[in-house]
Amino acid sequence: MQGFSDGGADLAQLQSTMHTIELACSSIQMHINPAAAEATLLSLSQSPQPYKICKYILENSQLANARFQAASAIRDAAMREWGSLPPEDKRSLISFCLCFVMQRASSPEGYVQAKVSSVAAQLMKRGWLDFAAAEKEAFFYQVNQAIIGIHGVDVQFIGINFLESLVSEFSPSTSTAMGLPREFHEQCRTLLELDYLKTFYSWVRDAALGVTNRIIESDAEIPEVKVCTATLRLMLQILSWDFRNDSSGMKTGINVFSAGVRPDSESKRSECILVQPGPAWRDVLISSGHIGWLLGLYGALRQKFSRDGYWIDCPIAVSARKLIVQFCTLTGTIFPSDDGQMQEHHLLQLLSGILAWMDPPDAVSQAIENGKSESEMLDGCRALLAMASVTTPILFDQLLKSIRPFGTLTLLSTLMCEVVKVLMINFTEDEPWSWVARDILLDTWTALLVPMDSTGGIPLLPPEGKHAAANLFALIVESELKVASATAAYDDDDASYLQASISAMDERLSSYALIARAAADITIPLLTGFFAERFAQLNQGRGISDPTETLEELYSLLLICGHVLADEGEGETPLVPNAIQTHFTVTEAEMHPVVALSSSIIRFAEQSLDPEMRASIFSPRLMEAVVWFLGRWSHTYLMSPEETKDINYNFSHNYEHQHQSLLSRKALLSFFGEHNQGKAVLDIMVRISVTTLMSYPGENDLQGLTCHQLLHSLVRRKNICLHLVSLDSWRNLANAFSNEKSLFLLNSANQRSLAQTLVLSASGIRNSEASNQYIRGLMGPMATYLVDLSNKNDLKSIAQQPDIILSVSCLFERLRGAASAAEPRTQRAIYEIGISVMDPVLLLIEVYKHESAVVYLLLKFVVNWVDGQISYLEAQETVIVIDFCMRLLQLYSSQNIGKISVSLSSSLLSEAKTEQYKDLRALLQLLSSLCSKDLVDFSSDSIDAQGTNISQVVYLGLHIVNPLISLELLKYPKLCHDYFSLLSHMLEVYPETLAQLNGEAFGHVLGTLDFGLHHQDPEVVNMCLGALKALSAYHYREMAAGKQGLGSHAAGNGNLQEGILSRFLRSLLQLLLFEDYSPDLVGAAADALLPLILCEQGLYQRLGNELIERQVNPTLKSRLMNALQSLTTANHVSYTLDRVNYKRFRKNLNNFLIEVRGFLRTM
Amino acid sequence: MSDEEHHFESKADAGASKTYPQQAGTIRKNGYIVIKARPCKVVEVSTSKTGKHGHAKCHFVGIDIFNGKKLEDIVPSSHNCDVPHVTRTDYQLIDISEDGFVSLLTENGNTKDDLRLPTDENLLTQIKDGFAEGKDLVVTVMSSMGEEQICALKDIGPKN
Repeated sequence: MQGFSDGGADLAQLQSTMHTIELACSSIQMHINPAAAEATLLSLSQSPQPYKICKYILENSQLANARFQAASAIRDAAMREWGSLPPEDKRSLISFCLCFVMQRASSPEGYVQAKVSSVAAQLMKRGWLDFAAAEKEAFFYQVNQAIIGIHGVDVQFIGINFLESLVSEFSPSTSTAMGLPREFHEQCRTLLELDYLKTFYSWVRDAALGVTNRIIESDAEIPEVKVCTATLRLMLQILSWDFRNDSSGMKTGINVFSAGVRPDSESKRSECILVQPGPAWRDVLISSGHIGWLLGLYGALRQKFSRDGYWIDCPIAVSARKLIVQFCTLTGTIFPSDDGQMQEHHLLQLLSGILAWMDPPDAVSQAIENGKSESEMLDGCRALLAMASVTTPILFDQLLKSIRPFGTLTLLSTLMCEVVKVLMINFTEDEPWSWVARDILLDTWTALLVPMDSTGGIPLLPPEGKHAAANLFALIVESELKVASATAAYDDDDASYLQASISAMDERLSSYALIARAAADITIPLLTGFFAERFAQLNQGRGISDPTETLEELYSLLLICGHVLADEGEGETPLVPNAIQTHFTVTEAEMHPVVALSSSIIRFAEQSLDPEMRASIFSPRLMEAVVWFLGRWSHTYLMSPEETKDINYNFSHNYEHQHQSLLSRKALLSFFGEHNQGKAVLDIMVRISVTTLMSYPGENDLQGLTCHQLLHSLVRRKNICLHLVSLDSWRNLANAFSNEKSLFLLNSANQRSLAQTLVLSASGIRNSEASNQYIRGLMGPMATYLVDLSNKNDLKSIAQQPDIILSVSCLFERLRGAASAAEPRTQRAIYEIGISVMDPVLLLIEVYKHESAVVYLLLKFVVNWVDGQISYLEAQETVIVIDFCMRLLQLYSSQNIGKISVSLSSSLLSEAKTEQYKDLRALLQLLSSLCSKDLVDFSSDSIDAQGTNISQVVYLGLHIVNPLISLELLKYPKLCHDYFSLLSHMLEVYPETLAQLNGEAFGHVLGTLDFGLHHQDPEVVNMCLGALKALSAYHYREMAAGKQGLGSHAAGNGNLQEGILSRFLRSLLQLLLFEDYSPDLVGAAADALLPLILCEQGLYQRLGNELIERQVNPTLKSRLMNALQSLTTANHVSYTLDRVNYKRFRKNLNNFLIEVRGFLRTM
Repeated sequence: MSDEEHHFESKADAGASKTYPQQAGTIRKNGYIVIKARPCKVVEVSTSKTGKHGHAKCHFVGIDIFNGKKLEDIVPSSHNCDVPHVTRTDYQLIDISEDGFVSLLTENGNTKDDLRLPTDENLLTQIKDGFAEGKDLVVTVMSSMGEEQICALKDIGPKN
């Protein structure tokens, strides 16, 4: 089919085309030859100017699907041809769509109506910047007439529907792509918000007001309900708009000092999106009694819930509730700066309307358990969350006090208690409503309690609220323990292990912690009590009863305590949580509740050192929680760096209290400080770690936690290392590590991490010589073993034995860990160790050439070692290391080139490919580290002194590695990324070395560059463009200076083959004009294109002329000609390669593409 | 160090053994393991627990290195598993006989004539074609637990 151009079509022709389309639609539906049918439909939307036939189909077809397709064809064609359509056609298309939906308002095929209406909205947006205000007014007059309701309920509904489509088109997150830059969408958004949004809102509000009475008065469901629901939906949609034009915005800080209203509500961590429409909206939303109307409407609906047509989840009720919740999030400058009075009044009004949804909590939850729908109660919780996000805890609490004898916090607490109680009974169900309610209410607490600003000032709760929080926390702990003991026997095979379950529970636990901390003086002793109780139970029941339930309870308690006492560091050293610092006035350390709780947990953990206790009580899972707790706790409390500092917190009131809590804080920190219990606790931790590593064979999760969390966090702080290296227990660990075989049983990641940790602890040794000595003692024996092994005559045969493979892998994992922990002070020792195993490495690579796992390990060790060392090496040493790397590369390459391995199993085959990819990636990383020598060099003399040219070395390396990298392997994104970043770096920094490469090597490098230019990943393309820019700019500059530049590579090879720059110019232009790419790349492409054009001006002229010749349409031809002309002349672009000129050319290219790409690609 | 050396020395003496014991927890992906008396390459390891407070156990998925069949096993992670001794030896290809056997040149100059051509189509054609073209081919023979198979091929150039 050749399209459906309708120039001069007569009725018969229209008829037959309509028939074809209808046939295609129904055959798609019945799934008869769908490909052909799709092609038919596609040719409709792709044919030039198909409007007449589309309109004909819309008006005459009996088949709804055909009308739907016609509408979408109008949209596609108009979007494509918009630039060339005469203005009157544009307008007539829109008004056709609008009239169409209005006239057929009662049509039963709602989806066709919705489609046509959204087509109208999209076309309107497309022309938004072209149309004059009067033209828009004309359209909107028509819409307004409909919404007022003069044409009846159906048309009214259609009108609202159209506005809904329009608003969602203009909101960037829901808009349809139009092939236009983002600025266009942003502009439309801003204009709509300024000119129309509020008007729309008042229209639909008036429409809603108009139908309200009829709805309230009538007993059955009437058509007006549909209209009213639509208005509520649209109001919600408008209130969800991302308002920007709040001109007096937050920055001016009018509200900063006002009482209740939070100044920084934007920075709050909360689930809710706040609505901040600005002062202009005050009259519509606040002062006009709008809220009263809405609450009244919903109140009336509630009365009707028992009757026909209305129920708690009927659309109108749902929409009304959603809108009410949305109103709770209203904040910002819409409220005048009157100390928050108006906002308080607004919230109070809402709260009194909402209260009935969830008060009294016990009755409501009972009703839900008996089968009532939970959605109203959940919406009530959401409303509380919204209010919590826009108020301070004090204001939040006060709201309810004017209508009830208790505060809102108490309501929140009792409500949540009810939810938790229900949860305790139903914890086995999947996703019960109480889960949802709990999560919303927890978010509410979080919104209230999370520190408000960067100084970490915490919101203080009023006393009544504090008690409410304490009660709630007690119930939460009780319920968690109950759930724990009830699920203790469950065998959860689905890998819900500590890490996974912790991260899943983490958020919930940290909200619990916030609640606990709000009443820390009550809740922490409570936790101590719970803990002591469980521990006593365990001791009594030893050997008599099955401890599993108590173990699981202790496990949960440890997690909760860990969260309450300390924050997650996320790489920083977390301080003692502010709530804990300020809540206590106890000045004697022994009496401090936090000390009491911490000490009792540490004493408990210490019991695991006793073999008998360990066997009967400390299951691997419990140990995981112990280790996790110790790791988290030690971050904050163990030998805290703050201990010695005096910190002045500015509490504006109550000096006495402040002083007391400062003293109390000091007592707490110094108790576990360096000069008090700190060292003893540290010793216990190390001994526990040794126990988990040695006495829990095969418990990889536990050992991983010990290595990565606990030990790693200890050596991160220097003052702890200082004590660590002086402990006997630490020395024993180090000794066992280097000389005993038992630690060989750790898995590889843990081996590596342990080696790293032990090496890092050297920072606690006071002088450099001693720390190097320590490293030699630690790692030396391993190097010696490897050297001895490699010197054996029968190495080839014994090397394949599994036990030897195991030891070799372990030792290299450890060396790798040590190498990655190199610091300036220990660099010497690690360098020596690396040098001593150089020959073994090469020998082992040869011996293990079929054992890819070992080879990879060896390569990774070399990569990490070189990476850690290269910048410190003196010239002479650099030569040795580079020589070694080249031998390694050559060896690896000779073993792998031309090798074909096969296996009957496809999964083994793909495994082998992955291994190859990982090896190559390691080699590329090695080359990159070598590269860095030129940039970061701490050695005393320059490497050039030894006549080493890093760039030549790296190109040589690339040349060795290159043949191994097939295009197939470049499909691995990481390898691809590494390869191209190395390549582009090399081309940018050392283009002159590239020029010296021989033809084959040069060809390969450039071949991959060409491949990269057409890659899907914009980042890769970007790097390639960068490389291309560097390359051509280099050539241009060299030529200008009368030198060779890229020489014969650029000149090409007679007539047979053109030079590489010409090739790239051609392919880059092809890419820019005719292919798909991310618009973000245009800048980089411009930077590459400019020097290419300058280098190959003749070719560029030819290509330009060809383009122009190919264009048949005379208007387009002249447009193209002008565009090409201004690409190289506008904006004073010159023949130089400086920053200003690049910038100008970027702008030119952008304009050029906007001007011509549209028609070049479609014609 | 003398202590450790002693350990390895004594292990090395047991060189003739077909399998070695190794703790299940230390066996990694891409390592080898014996499952149902077959040498396998491990393609997947996962751990789980016997009850919440029980001990860890490892779940292995292995692929038989000779016939490519998938096998699975579950072992407590502190227990020992058998790990097969897998060796790979390179031989130069001298001849392909009519009945599908190959003749290989060993390091000490003898020939090894007891191996069949591989069944894998790709490798088979590569060997036959390469041999017919007169290329110098090196084949890798994998052997473990008394079985042998040609598993890889390398072209070391037309004339060395």
